[in-house]
Amino acid sequence: MTDLTAMMAGDRDVVMSCRVRLARNVSGFPFVGRATHPQRREVLETVRAAAGPDEASVGLVGGGRVGATTAESLAWVDLAALPKRDRQLLWERHLISRQFAEGDSPRAVAVTPDERFSLMVNEEDHVRIQVLRTGNLLREAFDAAVRVDATLGSRLDFAFHPKWGYLTACPTNVGCGIRIGVMVHLRALRVTNEIEKVKRAAKELHLAVRGFHGEGSEATGDWFQISNQRTLGVTETGLLEEFAGRIVPAVVAYEREARRVLLERQRTLLEDRVFRGISLLRSARLLGLDEAMKQLSSVRLGVCLGLIPDVALDTLNRLTIQLQSAHLRAGESGIESDDDERAARARVARTILGEQ
Amino acid sequence: MAAPFRPCDHCAKPAVVHNTVIVNGQMNEVHLCEDHAGAAGIQMPGQAPIHQLLGQLAQVAVTRPRGPACPECGHTFHDFKTSGLLGCPACYDAFASTVGPVIERSHGGASEHIGNVPARADDANQRAALLQQLLRELETAVSAEQYERAAQLRDRIKDLRPTTAARIDGTP
Repeated sequence: MTDLTAMMAGDRDVVMSCRVRLARNVSGFPFVGRATHPQRREVLETVRAAAGPDEASVGLVGGGRVGATTAESLAWVDLAALPKRDRQLLWERHLISRQFAEGDSPRAVAVTPDERFSLMVNEEDHVRIQVLRTGNLLREAFDAAVRVDATLGSRLDFAFHPKWGYLTACPTNVGCGIRIGVMVHLRALRVTNEIEKVKRAAKELHLAVRGFHGEGSEATGDWFQISNQRTLGVTETGLLEEFAGRIVPAVVAYEREARRVLLERQRTLLEDRVFRGISLLRSARLLGLDEAMKQLSSVRLGVCLGLIPDVALDTLNRLTIQLQSAHLRAGESGIESDDDERAARARVARTILGEQ
Repeated sequence: MAAPFRPCDHCAKPAVVHNTVIVNGQMNEVHLCEDHAGAAGIQMPGQAPIHQLLGQLAQVAVTRPRGPACPECGHTFHDFKTSGLLGCPACYDAFASTVGPVIERSHGGASEHIGNVPARADDANQRAALLQQLLRELETAVSAEQYERAAQLRDRIKDLRPTTAARIDGTP
């Protein structure tokens, strides 16, 4: 059963997830693009040693103390040795970037079992610390990222410049090297054609608005990633306050208001889209990814408005990942053609949402 | 010694024509690439008589390098323009005059880091940056009446400044 009050409390009705990412480079090495493979391997080993074996040693729990009893191990995944499908799987889960999934150079990612933390080594920068949270838990994500940064920074010399701050391969990340982002579901603002206003406002505030998979993906669906573009001349806490205190509440309130207006003025049309969506997901035999995402978006709106009480928001969040291509291929053997994939997607949707 | 790399005033291509124009007593520098110089009616080497051409070619050869290379990693400004990426930390100083303005533009005009400094920032510059940052945070904390935080910040600032024992006059 869904609990509307609980959803509103964490802004989960609008904010699907949030992310804090820090870019760092180890002093004494060229940036990744300029480094030789032996240098990249050395960076990899250096960072891996500094991160240690588990959540405690990397600074996520227990104040950085090694051997805290609750610490889970970090799973180190060697990307260079990983099959393409598994690399795509990590990307679909937002644990690595698309760029990191491709290529053949020495690189690895450390992931915690709850998949809320990843440490990419040798992406565009030597170190990319990433903390993910479901819903609007930006402050929690920020604190975790900063703790990991402090822990790694106490063991590694990060490239730093008195004027430019943390040095990054791309000057657009220089300064704090931080990206704070939220993935928001702005279905009602899309329906009411107000999304362009949001994009314009975001641009004026030096924010980037991207699609479901971030950089390189178009914001054409109903999911948008909003993140800061400026990293120089700002403080980390200042950015956090701007996001958590100002930007996210404003976007959430704007979308909720659009939903309220839709419900009030176009209830039948809204209900029609929502119930068509859930029926389709519960009965389709062939389901393309675009169509699945479109219907999931309608259903998500219905769940958030209390129109579909028997579907939980977590189920939908999970489905948006499980219906992606590599996840389907990992879950079932024998998927070869596009039709196989579409059939598998329909089966997974029917199974999880309960066939009618 | 190669002339420093200079992009065209109208596009990102290297400038090959460098003029100083004085209008109403105001001196302005004009830097143009081949295309824009042609568009502005300036005769280029290919269009000039042969005796002028040789002299101009020699000049063009020094004004059209791929830009100076970073002494640490060999990255050139051309590499940066192609990939959008720098080669190593030293590139930031090696290309300060050309990359600096690019950085400032992409960060809304900001020209200085005011955020955190690394834990192992122990040289004088980095200590100074940390001190500045803590002082700014202190100001914010005081104006927000966060006195407990302000007290913590004062302690950290005290730790960063020279110790009493190190002072020549010995006053506390």
